[in-house]
Amino acid sequence: MSIVTPTRAAESPGPFWRRAHLTPYWLLAPAVVVTAVIVFLPMAQAVITSFYDLILFRPNASRFVGFGNYIKLFSDPVFWTALWNTVIWIGLTVPLQMGLGLVTAILLNREFPWRSVARALIIIPWALPSVVIALMWRWIYDPNTGVLNDLLIYLSVVQGAVPWLADPHLALYAVIATLTWQGFPFFAVMILAGLQGIPKSQYEAASLDGASSWRQFLHITLPGIMPVLATAGLLRVIWVANSMDVIFVMTGGGPGYSTHTLPLYAFIKARQNLDFGYGTAIAVTFTILLGSFVAVYLARTMREVEK
Amino acid sequence: MGLLRKFAAGLAVAATFAAAMATGSANAETVRFWYHFDNPANPMSELVAKFEKANPGIKVEAENVPWNSYYDNLYTALIGGNAPDAAMVKLFAQPRLVEMGALEPLGDRINAWPGKADLLDNLLELNKGPDGTQYYLPIQYVVLYLYYRTDMLAAAGLKPPATCEDFRDAAIKLTKAPDVYGFGLRGGKGGWDQWGAFVFSQGGALKPGGLTNPQAVAANQWVIDLFRKDKVIPPSAPNDGFQEIIGAFKAGKTAMTIHHIGSSRDLVAALGDKVSAVPVPKCGDGRWTSYGDESLAVFSASPHKDAAWKWISFLAEGQNNVAFNSATGQMTVTKSGAKDWKLHERRFVDATVESLPFAHVLPQNAATSEFVNTAWQTAMQRALTGQISSQQMMEELNALVAQ
Repeated sequence: MSIVTPTRAAESPGPFWRRAHLTPYWLLAPAVVVTAVIVFLPMAQAVITSFYDLILFRPNASRFVGFGNYIKLFSDPVFWTALWNTVIWIGLTVPLQMGLGLVTAILLNREFPWRSVARALIIIPWALPSVVIALMWRWIYDPNTGVLNDLLIYLSVVQGAVPWLADPHLALYAVIATLTWQGFPFFAVMILAGLQGIPKSQYEAASLDGASSWRQFLHITLPGIMPVLATAGLLRVIWVANSMDVIFVMTGGGPGYSTHTLPLYAFIKARQNLDFGYGTAIAVTFTILLGSFVAVYLARTMREVEK
Repeated sequence: MGLLRKFAAGLAVAATFAAAMATGSANAETVRFWYHFDNPANPMSELVAKFEKANPGIKVEAENVPWNSYYDNLYTALIGGNAPDAAMVKLFAQPRLVEMGALEPLGDRINAWPGKADLLDNLLELNKGPDGTQYYLPIQYVVLYLYYRTDMLAAAGLKPPATCEDFRDAAIKLTKAPDVYGFGLRGGKGGWDQWGAFVFSQGGALKPGGLTNPQAVAANQWVIDLFRKDKVIPPSAPNDGFQEIIGAFKAGKTAMTIHHIGSSRDLVAALGDKVSAVPVPKCGDGRWTSYGDESLAVFSASPHKDAAWKWISFLAEGQNNVAFNSATGQMTVTKSGAKDWKLHERRFVDATVESLPFAHVLPQNAATSEFVNTAWQTAMQRALTGQISSQQMMEELNALVAQ
């Protein structure tokens, strides 16, 4: 009987919104409302906008075109160029960041003097604002006054200055290198945390059994940090996919279309050409593509991790 | 319940406070004004103080908006209903702003304004709207001309080029790749006006069919060849903007470039007597250079049009205009201010004035904004890097103009 009493006390008096089983919903409500208003509402609006021919400086000429923008999109060669660039952009940047982050984390996990200083310094690229990084690297790459070409010419790696950002075959990779540099500390820190969670006893047991350090890495370290890699990798895929500020500042999408990714193309169409109908159609298409990729990734990787 | 009551009481206090604020600001009208200065020495607050002293009923909130996204911000603010009352604007934006119905006609106000007689001749004519109405009040101007390194040309035994043939010849002789290139071309955003000197002078025009005629395509090919065949332009050109071309010229990487008087003080500070200027070369039978305009406009949605007009006309008057131009490094629009002009070395003022007879603005049609903002550079960059031909580039731009 005494167990029932508190429940009864909470349920019986007062109006229905005070009942205990509703409390979690009340506590969640502010977050849900804010998310709905600032995330889902604009998302729904974007989907609606994408069905209209809406050029902002011609508000009176706006009309419903159904899937017109999408049909136009699929026959737009720039869309396919941008899609391919986006695939390269994500496909190279995230693994490179992860690889560099892994190496850094393993180094930082060893004992050496000034280790805590090194751990703090490694964060700097991650802590700098993207625009600062983009401007900085723009000057590093500058063929006339930049330091990278100076170094390479001094070391006789190249004969003349390489126009890193002005060559359509190099520009995208130059920007990817910048973003790799910016993002690897995130992986390094996450993986470092994962490494410290692996019990020392496992390594001791392995070395007693005569396992080489490579086999220890393969069978203890890697499985130990797999959940971290999976989660951090997913987060990075989403962030890198959507990030266009560095590209925008470094090349503006150029030369020509060679550094156009889909989010950048959507931005240029909507914000610079004020063609919101077409711009949102690009954005919605990209959201669907990225969403499907994330769904597949979650389904496969997370199952793998939970094994 | 007690909490709720406290909250309600708080709300009431806030409301009273807001109401008090509102009545307070109704007494002093506030004019919101957007401008773009990239010079760190910004005299705007002094101008605002001087204006507010002379007009006690008006407060001015002047906001320096970064140039690279100035028009993106302005258009979206206008559509979003949060636009300033007045702003600095350029001619290429006028057709779009007129189409949006965003501009307030200023003709009557300008006619009644004593400063009108002091404006340089022809400026009001030049910045009339596409429908013949006067929306813009001129505030400063520049004309593009050719900067050259006197020492480098002298060492090569060259005179500043007067024709396109001379220009190419000089550029080839001055080029000692990879250390020095003859000409610094702006292939990135904002480079269309350099390009115009070579293409609009030789039969090119921003109108349907005006870019695809054989002369225009050949002139465009000539520019592309300077980069791809003659190699007198730094390989970075397709991505180069203002900072890069000026940086390379100052560093002695390029011997000639095209820009306006706005950069002369910076260049003289770095190079002294080793930099001078002449009008852009004559190409074929024609000569074309870009008249770089800057005006002020009042927006039709503004509730404070009279106050906004007072403020912008204040900026276009004699000494105020000189102070304004001392920040931008451009040329005053007033006769009284121009009489005793000390902001620039004489040689740059001369090159500007000599260029005026063939200085033009782009035709005012709806495609102009997109041409200037994104289309030219995307097409030019691909042509420079060999992804498309001169013909394809011109057809693509023509499609935009013919829309």
